[in-house]
Amino acid sequence: MLKQERRTLDAIRTLTGCFFVAAVILPLLRLLIHFHQADIAAIFSKPMVAQSLAHSVAVSLCATIISVLLALTAAWCMARTTICGKHIFHGVLLFPMLIPSLSHGMSLIILWGSNGVLTRFLGASEGIYGFWGIVAGSVMYSFPVAYLMLLDILRYEDFTPYEEAAVLGIPRWRKFTAISFPYLRKPLLNVLFATFTMIVTDYGVALMVGGTFKTLPVIMYEEVIGRQDFVQGSVFGVILLIPAVIAFFSDLLCKSNASETFLSKPFVVQKSPKANAASYVFLTLTAVCALIPILSFAILTFANRYPRDMSFTMRHITASIQKDVMGYLGNSVIMALCTALIGTITAFFCGYFTARMPGRSCRFLHLMSTLSLAVPGIVLGLSYVMFFKSTWLYGTMAILVLVNIVHFFSPPYLMIYHSMGKINPNLEAVGASLGIGRLRMLRGIFVPQTALTLFEMFSYFFVNSMMTISAVAFLSNAATKPVALMINQFEAQMMLEASAFISLLIWGINLAMKALASCLAHKIKVKERQ
Amino acid sequence: MESLSVHNISKKYKRHTALKDISFTMAPGEFLSILGPSGCGKTTLLRILIGLLAPDEGRILLNGQDITHAPCDQRSMGIVFQNYALFEHMTVLKNVEYALRFHKESKAHARETALHMLEQVGLSAHIGKYPRELSGGQQQRAAIARTLALSPSILLLDEPMSALDAANRLSLQEELKRIQHKSGTAMIYITHDQEEAFALSDRIIVMGSSVIHQIDTPQNILKDPADAYVREFVYDNLNKKLSMLAKFEDILI
Repeated sequence: MLKQERRTLDAIRTLTGCFFVAAVILPLLRLLIHFHQADIAAIFSKPMVAQSLAHSVAVSLCATIISVLLALTAAWCMARTTICGKHIFHGVLLFPMLIPSLSHGMSLIILWGSNGVLTRFLGASEGIYGFWGIVAGSVMYSFPVAYLMLLDILRYEDFTPYEEAAVLGIPRWRKFTAISFPYLRKPLLNVLFATFTMIVTDYGVALMVGGTFKTLPVIMYEEVIGRQDFVQGSVFGVILLIPAVIAFFSDLLCKSNASETFLSKPFVVQKSPKANAASYVFLTLTAVCALIPILSFAILTFANRYPRDMSFTMRHITASIQKDVMGYLGNSVIMALCTALIGTITAFFCGYFTARMPGRSCRFLHLMSTLSLAVPGIVLGLSYVMFFKSTWLYGTMAILVLVNIVHFFSPPYLMIYHSMGKINPNLEAVGASLGIGRLRMLRGIFVPQTALTLFEMFSYFFVNSMMTISAVAFLSNAATKPVALMINQFEAQMMLEASAFISLLIWGINLAMKALASCLAHKIKVKERQ
Repeated sequence: MESLSVHNISKKYKRHTALKDISFTMAPGEFLSILGPSGCGKTTLLRILIGLLAPDEGRILLNGQDITHAPCDQRSMGIVFQNYALFEHMTVLKNVEYALRFHKESKAHARETALHMLEQVGLSAHIGKYPRELSGGQQQRAAIARTLALSPSILLLDEPMSALDAANRLSLQEELKRIQHKSGTAMIYITHDQEEAFALSDRIIVMGSSVIHQIDTPQNILKDPADAYVREFVYDNLNKKLSMLAKFEDILI
C-alpha cells in the first residue's frame, strides 16, 4: 500500500515537471528563437523604439524612487510607531493592489484629465498626460507591493543589536548608520529592483494617460496586438526580461544570506508622541490617495452627468450591462476561480515535493516554481502566443488559466514551501512506521496543517487573475476576454462610466475575496488559540 | 529465544562510512541503549532498523523473519523522535486514534485502544488537549502512546529526553521504565548521554565513529571497559560527574 502511494506521488511529480517544461521552458525558448531571427539594429534604428525605451527607463526610475520612498515611510509608520487603527490603515493602503493598472490610469483621467475634476478645480489648462501622468499612475499601482515587502523587512528586524547599543550608550544617529542601514541595504535594493520591474513592464497606466508619450510595453502591445509583428515583439520582450532577471537574482542573493533558522527578537517600539502625530498625518494622506481612485469610480458610475449633474442614477450601470459587461465579468470570475483552484493545488503539490521529498528532481521543480517570478506577464503572454498559436489551446479559456497560473505561481508556491518546511521533519517517518502512507498523510495531516496558507494562496491567485491585464491581453479573444481588458476599450469608445463601473466591480469582488480569506484565517487562528 | 538479531550491517554515504559491520542481538522485553557521541552513526542505525534507509550490506531478523528490506509499516517496530512529531491539529486522543483507523485489525476498537493506551502513560486527564497545550514530557508520553497503540514488538526512541529540562528528565526516565514494565515492549534507546543510558538500560551498545566498541550490561561496561575509547567515553565521563557531585556528598545524603 505504501509503495503504491509512493508510485502515485512519483507520477504526480513527473507530471508537474512536464507541466513546467510545457508551460515555461518551451514558450520561452520559442521567444528566444524569434529573438534570434530579429534584425535588432534595424528595429532600434527606428526613432520611435529608441525613444520609447528611454521613456520607459526615465518614467520607471522616477516612479520607482517615489514609490519606494513613500512605501518605506508608510512601512516605518506601521512598524515603528504605536499609533491606533493600524489595521484600517493597512487595509486601505492595499486598495490600489486590488484594481488593474488600467484603472489607475482611468482614475487619473477622471481626476486630472483635461476635463477632470481636480484640473478644473485648480484652473489648470491641461491634464496630467505624458510623463508625470504615467509616474503618478505607476506610483499608485506599485506602492502597495513595495509597502508590503518593506513592512515585512521592518517587522522582522532583530531588536537585539538595538538593546546592545542602548547598553553601550551608542548615540541615535550612530544606531541608524551602524545597525538599521546595513540591515536595510540589501533588502531595500531588492525592493527597488522588484518595483522597477513591475513598473517598467506595465502597459496599463501608460496606455491610458501616456498620450503621445509612449513606453516600450505600450509599443509592444500595439505592435503585437495591432500588427501581429511577433519578431519585433520578441525583441521588446527580451529587453523587458532583463530587469526582471536582475530582480530575480538580486532576490536570490538576498535570500541566501538570510539564515532561516536565525531566531530574532521582535522589535520593541517606544511610544513617541511626535512620531505618532507625524505618522497619523502621513498615513491619513496616503490612505486618502489610495481611496480617491475608488471614490472617483463610484462617483462616475452613480452620478447622472459628472461633474455637472451629480444626482444619483443607475443608468450607467444599465448601459454597461447592455454592453455585456456581465458576460465579460463572468469570463473573469470563471478564469480567476479556475486559476485559483488549479494553481493552489499545483503549488501545494510542488511545495510538498520540494520541501518534503528532497532530491534532484525537486531542485528542478523549485527552480521552475520560482523562475516564473522572473518572467513579466507581458513577456509570458507574448511567448505563449508564439508557442501555442497553432494548437487547439489557443483562443480558449484554458490558455488564460494556464498563463495566469504560471504568471502568479511563485508567491503562493513560496508561501506553501515555507509552511511545509516548518512542519516537523520527522512526520513522514512517523507516518511510515505507523503505516500511514504519504497520500493519506497529505490529506489528513498536511492539508489541515497548512489550511491557513492554502486560503492565502487561493486568494492571491484569484485577486491577481481578476485584475491582470498583461499576459491575457495577448491571449484572449472576443469570447474569452476578461473584464479588466474592457476598461481601455470602453474608454476608447468614450464610455468612461462603463470603465469606472468595471473598475469598481473588480475592486468590490477582490475586496470581498480578501475579506473572506482573512475571515477564514481569523477563524482558524481563534480555533487554534482555544 | 532472541527477538531481534542484526548481522553485519554496513552503510556508506558516498565516501563517508556511516556504519561498519554492526551486529547485535536483543531479547524480548529488553531495554537496550545505543550510546555514542553525535555523528557516530547511531541515527543511521536507527533509520535502518525502522526501514527508512536500506543498508548496503547485512541482514536484520525479527523473530527469525528477514525484515531487512520490509517496508516500515510491516516491521512491527514503532518510533518516537526527539521532537515527538505529533499531529499538531489533532487532540491527544485523535493523535493516538488516527493511525489505528488505517489498520483492519485495530479499526473497530480504535477509540478503546487509544483510551487504554493514554491511561497507561498517565495522560487520561489530557485527552482533549492539543499538542501545543502539553508540556514537553506530556508530549513525549503522547507520542509513546501513539506508537505503542499499534503494539509493536520493539519501540525505538531517538534521544527522546534531549528536549526536556533536567528535572523533567529524571521523572520521565522512571515513567519510561514503568511504561516498559507494563507493556512488556522491547525498547531501543538512542542517546549520547551516559547517565541516561546507565540509569535505564538492561544492556548498552557503546558506539564510536561507525563501529560498535562494546555490548554489555552497565555494570560490566564499567567494571571492564573493552578498550581505551569506552574507558574514556563512559568510565571517565561518569567519574568526572561523580567526583563533582562528591563535593556535596554529606549535604545530599
